[in-house]
Amino acid sequence: MKRIDYSEKLSNYLYLPVAVLAMIAMIIPVYILFKVSVSSPQEIMTAHPSFLIKKFTLEHWKAIFKSGNLWAPLSKSFTVATMTTLIAIIIAAPAAYVIARMPSKAKYAVVLSLFLLRMFPEVAIALSISVQFLKWNLIDTNTGLVMAHLILNLPFAAWILVGTFETIPKGLEEAALVDGAGKVEALLKIIMPLAIPGIAVAAIFVWLNSWNEFTYALYLTMSKRTLPLQTYYYVVRGGWFDAATYGTILMIPVLMVTFLLQRYMKGGYLSGAVKG
Amino acid sequence: MKKGYLRFFAMALMLAIIIAAAGCGGNTEQAQETRKNVLKVSMGLAEEEWKVMKEDIFPAFEEKYGIKIEPYQMEAGDTVKKLEAMHQAGAMDIDLITQDNMQLAPLVDKGLVEDLSSYRDMIPKEVIPALIPVGEFDGKLYFMPYRPNVEIAFYNEKKFDEYGLKPPTNWDELLEVAKTFKEKEGVGRVVIKQNLGPDSTIHMFDLIRSAGGDPTVLNDEGSVRAFTFLKELQPYLSPECKKADWNTPNQFLATESAYLVQNWPFTSVVVVRDGGKKEIKAYNGWRGPVKESHVLGGEVIGIPKGAPNKDMAVKFMEYLMSKEVQEKLTSKLGWPSMRTDAYGKVEDWQKPYFDAVSEALKHAEPRPNLTYWADVDKAVNGALREIIFEGKDIRATLDKYHNMIEQAKKAAGN
Repeated sequence: MKRIDYSEKLSNYLYLPVAVLAMIAMIIPVYILFKVSVSSPQEIMTAHPSFLIKKFTLEHWKAIFKSGNLWAPLSKSFTVATMTTLIAIIIAAPAAYVIARMPSKAKYAVVLSLFLLRMFPEVAIALSISVQFLKWNLIDTNTGLVMAHLILNLPFAAWILVGTFETIPKGLEEAALVDGAGKVEALLKIIMPLAIPGIAVAAIFVWLNSWNEFTYALYLTMSKRTLPLQTYYYVVRGGWFDAATYGTILMIPVLMVTFLLQRYMKGGYLSGAVKG
Repeated sequence: MKKGYLRFFAMALMLAIIIAAAGCGGNTEQAQETRKNVLKVSMGLAEEEWKVMKEDIFPAFEEKYGIKIEPYQMEAGDTVKKLEAMHQAGAMDIDLITQDNMQLAPLVDKGLVEDLSSYRDMIPKEVIPALIPVGEFDGKLYFMPYRPNVEIAFYNEKKFDEYGLKPPTNWDELLEVAKTFKEKEGVGRVVIKQNLGPDSTIHMFDLIRSAGGDPTVLNDEGSVRAFTFLKELQPYLSPECKKADWNTPNQFLATESAYLVQNWPFTSVVVVRDGGKKEIKAYNGWRGPVKESHVLGGEVIGIPKGAPNKDMAVKFMEYLMSKEVQEKLTSKLGWPSMRTDAYGKVEDWQKPYFDAVSEALKHAEPRPNLTYWADVDKAVNGALREIIFEGKDIRATLDKYHNMIEQAKKAAGN
């Protein structure tokens, strides 16, 4: 007699509804933000605002594009986030590869030490770090902000990549060495391409963290604001429509970068890599 | 050989990072000389306010002294953080700040601002007297008066008319209005700020003082009377009270979840001018059994310790307090003036709100500048929480928090 696997049946039935519910829960706040940015004040500032957009207007968008306060913060945020991501990957990838090839006990200690700085709340260390950066004349510079963001993101990038390199069999490397490749060549031509999905995950993570970072940007910025600081400015001033428009603009590059990098996140990339 | 290249590459990369970090070193003499011709000013302003500063206020001063004013946007809450970082780094780069008078104590406590006592004579004789103590700490003058501000009562005229109500002018009328809204709509529509933060402290100060009490004593007859009245009023208040801060009342008024709330005048800009809700009117508010009282808000001028261009900052400070500038700020931005002799004509739409502010300012009282202010804040909100939310006995609770303030006072050496 065949036994019915109820848990499998249940998960088959519930998978789609749960996924749809989760998607709705994530999309609705984003939609409301967008709706506020393209609605007239009269439509929003009422006892019962409608869920759907009734009177579409680009007034708030036009005002922000005309204000001259958009491109500089957008450009600064994009430059800093991209530079942080590139440097983080360049530093973290080789480091993570070395850590991944260490004996287990040593590996654990090193990974743990990476997170030593992350054990403290950001606000607790931001002041002392900012003081040091100010002494180095790094206020209002991209270099300063990139360095500050690296403090936050390098440990995470390395941690993600250690996990990635651990999954790549050592046998592949050894096979490349037997075939005459040098260590560096084996790393660049064999290991790194296989680590691309992990690198993509780390890159997305670092980029988003840097793009949204607020505390260090606040300390290390005087006149050249990042986009989150510019959005914060409108939130603090009580300008709902400006804040909603900036919030929507803040999301656009996030969607683009995630879309670009998610192509590299493929599963099953190691299946059949090494014959037993 | 390959190993050698790799090592060289790694060393070069490290070196590049270190050189970038070093940030190309310290100030040159030339840079310091150039800095003398620049006045760096930090303010927390909206875009239209910056426009007035840049077009109508700064140019005359720049022309007179042949310098360039570099303006920086700094919110009041961030000023302390930024100045502290600069101060600790020995790299103070701001010459003058204008700061919310509710957030002065940390600047003085941390030694981030200059003692301006020697410039006391610079304060114009025509200044509103209540504005001077705002900048004083332990008998020293750290901040100059600049811009007074006060909360006014915003109400939904349509809703008041609908139920035949008039804006309340005293506690009895306030209770009646709150009861009527609750009765007619099944939910309270009057908001008293009870977010257990700085905002609720302001409203409790107003209530206690208008009953003849002293919030820094907290167990005197006036305080007891204020809490007794609030307890009576509480069942008829809006559920939004706990969420009410400096910003949320705009939302309450706009979405009509509240019909009466006291808030800062910028509500008129957000809700009436930008939001188009012309039915939201304002007046000075209500008096208590003893008097009408409003916490005096607004901004003051300070000079950060170690400001590179202090002499020019002092001149600019004097300029900001001048009749000429104060009149422009009133005419162009609708700011009430710190001077009794400065008159400006505000825009038509703004006039009723400006009049409400001017009237409320007549009853404005500064918050005391106490080194143990944080404890007073905690005590007032602790009493609010226990008496109003937890239903504890008024006198016993106020005695408890009075003792807490007294201990803090002793600890502070007062």
